[in-house]
Amino acid sequence: METISRISSMLETARELTLEAAQSAAMSRGSSTGLMNRNLTTSHIKKLLDSRNDREVLDGMRRVITLMYRSEPSLPFFSAVVKNVASANLEVKKLVYIYLVHHAEAEPDLALLSINAIQKSLTDQNPHARAMALRTMSGIRVPVISQIVSLAIKRGCGDMSPHVRKAAALAIPKCYRLDPNTLPQLIGYLTTLLGDTQYFVLGPAVAAFLDVCPDRIDLIHKHYRSLVKKLVDMDEWSQISTLRLLTFYARQCFPRKTQKGKQAVSEGFYEDEKVPESNSDGNGDEVLVLDPDLEFLLRTCKLLLQNRNSAVIVSVVRCFLYLGTPEYLDAAIGPLVALLRSPQDTQHVALYNIVAVALKHPKPFTRYANHFLVHAVDPPHIWRLKLEVLTLIFPHCGLHLKGVILSELEHFSQSTDPDLVRESVRAIGRCAQSDPSTADHCLSVLLGQITSLDDNLVSESLTVVRHLIQQDPPSHEKTVIQLVKHLGLTKNADARATIVWLVGEFAGVEPERNIAADILRILVQDFANESEAVKQQIILLGAKVYLHHLLRNPPKEAPPPEPKPERIVNEWTENEEERKEEAGDEEKQSDEPEEDRMTLLWRYLLLLARYDSSYDLRDRARLYKALLASPSSTQLANLLLLAPKPVPHAPSPSETRKDLLVGSSTLVVGPDAGMLGLKGYQNLPDWAESGQEPDPRLRENEIRPEFAEKSSMTAGERLDRALKEHESSVATSSRHQNGRVGVGGSSSKGKSLDEWLEEPETESEEETETEEEETDSEYEEVTDDEETDEEEETDEEYETDSEEQAQSTGLLRQ
Amino acid sequence: MSGQIDALYIYDEQSNPIVEQVYRSRPPSAPAILPLYLAHAAPRPSLLYIPGATPPVTVFSVVQSNLLFLALSEVDTEPLLVLEFLHRVVDVLEDFVGAPLLSSKLQANYEVVAQLLHEMCDAGIVCNTEPNALQEVVEMPGWMGKLLGGVGLPGSSTPILGQPNALKQSMASAAAAQGPAIPWRKSGVRHTSNELYVDIIESLSVTIAPSGRLLSAISSGTIAFTAKISGVPDLLLSLTAPGGQKVLGRKMDLPVFHPCVRLARWREHPGELSFVPPDGRFILAGYEVDLLPIDPGLDQPPSHMEKLFLPAIVDIRRSLGPTGSDFEVRLILNTNFPGYSSFNRPGVGRSGSGTSTPSFLGGGSGNSSTPALEEVVVTVPIPKSVRNITDMQASRGEALFSPGSTSLEWRVPTKDAGTISGTATLRCTVVGHYLDDDLEEEVEELDADANLLQGYYDATNSYQNAEADTTKRKVKKKKKKKVVKKSSSRAAAAAAAAAAEGSASSPADPLPLTSEDPELHASEPQLPIPPIQPSSPQPPQSQSQSQKQSPTRPPPESSIFLTAPRKTKTQLNATLMPTSASVSFSVRGWLPSGIKVESLNIDPRRSRGLGEGVKPYKGVKYICVSRKGVERRC
Repeated sequence: METISRISSMLETARELTLEAAQSAAMSRGSSTGLMNRNLTTSHIKKLLDSRNDREVLDGMRRVITLMYRSEPSLPFFSAVVKNVASANLEVKKLVYIYLVHHAEAEPDLALLSINAIQKSLTDQNPHARAMALRTMSGIRVPVISQIVSLAIKRGCGDMSPHVRKAAALAIPKCYRLDPNTLPQLIGYLTTLLGDTQYFVLGPAVAAFLDVCPDRIDLIHKHYRSLVKKLVDMDEWSQISTLRLLTFYARQCFPRKTQKGKQAVSEGFYEDEKVPESNSDGNGDEVLVLDPDLEFLLRTCKLLLQNRNSAVIVSVVRCFLYLGTPEYLDAAIGPLVALLRSPQDTQHVALYNIVAVALKHPKPFTRYANHFLVHAVDPPHIWRLKLEVLTLIFPHCGLHLKGVILSELEHFSQSTDPDLVRESVRAIGRCAQSDPSTADHCLSVLLGQITSLDDNLVSESLTVVRHLIQQDPPSHEKTVIQLVKHLGLTKNADARATIVWLVGEFAGVEPERNIAADILRILVQDFANESEAVKQQIILLGAKVYLHHLLRNPPKEAPPPEPKPERIVNEWTENEEERKEEAGDEEKQSDEPEEDRMTLLWRYLLLLARYDSSYDLRDRARLYKALLASPSSTQLANLLLLAPKPVPHAPSPSETRKDLLVGSSTLVVGPDAGMLGLKGYQNLPDWAESGQEPDPRLRENEIRPEFAEKSSMTAGERLDRALKEHESSVATSSRHQNGRVGVGGSSSKGKSLDEWLEEPETESEEETETEEEETDSEYEEVTDDEETDEEEETDEEYETDSEEQAQSTGLLRQ
Repeated sequence: MSGQIDALYIYDEQSNPIVEQVYRSRPPSAPAILPLYLAHAAPRPSLLYIPGATPPVTVFSVVQSNLLFLALSEVDTEPLLVLEFLHRVVDVLEDFVGAPLLSSKLQANYEVVAQLLHEMCDAGIVCNTEPNALQEVVEMPGWMGKLLGGVGLPGSSTPILGQPNALKQSMASAAAAQGPAIPWRKSGVRHTSNELYVDIIESLSVTIAPSGRLLSAISSGTIAFTAKISGVPDLLLSLTAPGGQKVLGRKMDLPVFHPCVRLARWREHPGELSFVPPDGRFILAGYEVDLLPIDPGLDQPPSHMEKLFLPAIVDIRRSLGPTGSDFEVRLILNTNFPGYSSFNRPGVGRSGSGTSTPSFLGGGSGNSSTPALEEVVVTVPIPKSVRNITDMQASRGEALFSPGSTSLEWRVPTKDAGTISGTATLRCTVVGHYLDDDLEEEVEELDADANLLQGYYDATNSYQNAEADTTKRKVKKKKKKKVVKKSSSRAAAAAAAAAAEGSASSPADPLPLTSEDPELHASEPQLPIPPIQPSSPQPPQSQSQSQKQSPTRPPPESSIFLTAPRKTKTQLNATLMPTSASVSFSVRGWLPSGIKVESLNIDPRRSRGLGEGVKPYKGVKYICVSRKGVERRC
């Protein structure tokens, strides 16, 4: 979806914008310089901060924050600012808190002075103030206070206001980072928060869970259904983290089950078409059976497909791709493609995800083929991916669309950007490879390119043509002949070398159709003017032709040919003057009836190579000469020169990313991220083994009745009810405006400040003392309980878990 | 680890960091990360992994109104989440300090920016991005509020400085105590003048094949909504398309909605959007319309194409003039918008169904019933090898090309009196680099040389080649093949015949190659060296010869190869020709999809807080924008 700022800029003309920009620039310059000149002196700000007037303090705080963001020294005001932490004014408080979080690390001792005041705010009447205090306290990065923070979170978890509970959830990861030893307590708080009825709180709780203890899926069982149920109503960011959690959860808790024959009630009637795809076993009658709980999740996810947030869409796609059946995935393809409407930055990432999905399921994308046409304005990182998608869906399109795609690729192969040319020519090659029925057409397109003036295009085309020919050599003899004709046209060394090599590969066909020897004869004439790459190939061609010749006409008598090559070797080791004589010698030899032309040609070629300036070439010639020295023993040469070549297979460029998790950064970064992906990257666990999964009954819990009652309401009805409640509560609250006291505050209402300050400390001291002894045992007890609850299954599951992880990491390493 | 944003940095136009917000851990500082980011070549992808930073980070970037927004993350984070977050930050900042976003505005309101950034993301976890919810916790900047009061930006009615309005405070606390009932709408909205505006913006993207056939035509639409209305209104927006509501459901493909839209209603009645709007301006929905649906499984090209009206079409002809160095761009403008032939006002006619005053006039300059075509700009991407473009002759408007830039811009004014429709042409001459000129000469020399030596044998072929190259590509391909076959047929026939004869005549000698073969000789009349003369001392000689006179290559040997085509100026210039042209324009008052707002009603039963008899002002605006969207290949 477009953002409002982009739409507004579309609506307004450029001139209006620049006008306003200039105007406001002028204005702000005036005001800000005035501000600077007037009172940016340290003493003045200090005076403002020390003032009793809230307004002045606020003014001072604003200046301090401005200094802070300008990266000018604002630390000198620390003590002056901290004094205001107890200010009654919420606006002042907010700014002080921001300042504190920013600087606490630099001045831990002074920051500790403010803790008491912040703690006091934890019991403020105003829930916003409570939430803010909690957030600030957990944000102060001084490890000493971890226990106090932990206590504050505990208090926050039981708060009446969801805002405070949300802040408590968000504080959990911060507290964990402050001091990892608090983990057992934090997990306790998380269990409470995950059971919260407010979707508002649930999202941050899930995010905290993912951050602190993503492996403790045993905590989720109880809340699984309520999480799925609330998914639709959550805000988009919570949806993202919840979807992630549930996807990981589902993999570990729902084994892949198939059923023979009968189709599950929940499946659509067209299921059977798709079964072969979804079932790796390949048994046509096996039908995938989804666990009802998993099905519930998938159906809920479907409702999210019209979300405006692209990350939600990709999360749903990931969920369907790794958990669901192809039908579910089909439904998500459209929304995924729709992400291409968004700004370019989002498009780029979306395309990576599209490619990753298309590598596995290209078919559904054919409907949206026209979305992947490359535009002239697309930057390289966009068109690269678009071309890849086009080639991926190519074999699944109808003939018409195939024609469109091919002419697209042909068009871009004639562009002026060398990279684009290379990519599109390769794309044509991949099209031909993936769909043999169009290979001929692709080949003719590529052959058409060979006459181009663009050397880059010619050499790229030829490389691809070579690959195509190698895939099915027998049917391409004609093509090679055609290519050979182009030798006269192209001066590109790579292109020529490729053609010569191809001729060599076809040197073994029956004599009637064999052109290799003739080509060699012609090439040898201009040998000296060829580039080195071509020369190498010519020698190779010569060697092959000669070898085939030897194979076809095995020397009749073993003894006579033997001495000849030896003699030749000797001749060639002599110096130049002698050569003419040798030439004469050769002449004499040629008079001999058994000396055939092939041998002569080969010898001539070797002679040419011997006096070449390139030592590499000379070495190669020597090698081949030695290989073919004895016409009777050609086995070694046979092995070396006529070995069957492996069929080249050009994989799609993103093939290496196929197994990376859709929606992750590692997928976009690709191989650069290293073997294990970016830090924190985690691939999905494998499906749980059937019989190893946790008992499904764990997911049934006491919330059940409430769920049944609530689920009958649609979102609209719920909204209406909420509206009514809201109205009435507003009314009551305005009535009891003064008498109303936050429940969270009521407990502490009677206490004086000192009492309050003392109490938590002693409490916490006691607790820490006892806990230091107890934490371990307590925790063990708790886990023991759980384990007995789950009756060894969890135990096993953990084992399999770790094994799976080990396996997956092992796989990654491989 | 679904979302972990370590830091958010904002840089101004001169790449000075203006906002530096660290959320968690210790990422590289803003001045430290920028050079590493800029080290990547120019069109930078939105996600970059920078292993060279300490610690290694992934950098997500968004550029908006000349400001660069960078988000850093040390761990694997869902990239789309971060990018969406950055876009929301832009939106929210614009909402608070005013659009367009300028560095000076941010710098003047640091305390607001600081509060917003702290509210939107807590220690790396994105938590609150709803503008309305943020307005409840962060005060609008004072002077901006005053400044924008006239414009009617939401929140302008809030008090200037930090004395929280008692009523508002209580409302907020009430909401806070039990959680927000409607997370996207702030409570207690009051407006003196109630207004509702619907803006439908469609962005058109059309690709036209060289043959003139349409390859694709997609229009992606966005419905922007501005609600300035008191209380909690419940609105119903009905859309309609030329074929009626049923067509609309199929037409509006892949819709996405703001969370306030009741999806169930849409599914039951496509085209009806029922929602409680947030206060202020927001994007209500996005959709796309495939104007040229093609079944992917088709084998034949679709026989009948849906007729598509385009206000501006561009055509380009290349390789004109004596040396083929000219190209001509033709722009065809057409303002005979279908359905607007007479002075009927469809919008007004239908809007009578609304409960309140039907004032469904399009706002802005395009408020007359006939759509207005504006800002017509033709862009022609120019290859890098072009040194300059001379002789730009435009029949209308003005063309601009600065040497070294990658595209030519041709602005065609549409505000003149008289008809806009019609054809305008632009003819240009390209000049290549010196390098090319040199090459050209050399090549020509060489060609002449080769030609001389070659004699007549392949002359016809080479001309044919040249011709084939300059003709249209589609045709070229076929012709080319023919040429290849023709030219080769003789030679191939000769070779094959030779081979056949060789094998047939002398079965004892299976070698197809016989230098004494008369036919082969005949086919190579101008060959200086007989193929193989076993006794000849020539080979070394010829080698030394050719080394001495290396520039004059011996002729390309034999008849079985095609000869090099003559590289004429035309052909060389062909590489300087543009391969596409695109046109940008905007039309006020017309949408390619034909979607219209049928009615916008306030449900009086469900709405609250809006006084009796208050009839809000309603406005609708349709705009079609094409940003280099209509692209013609050639």
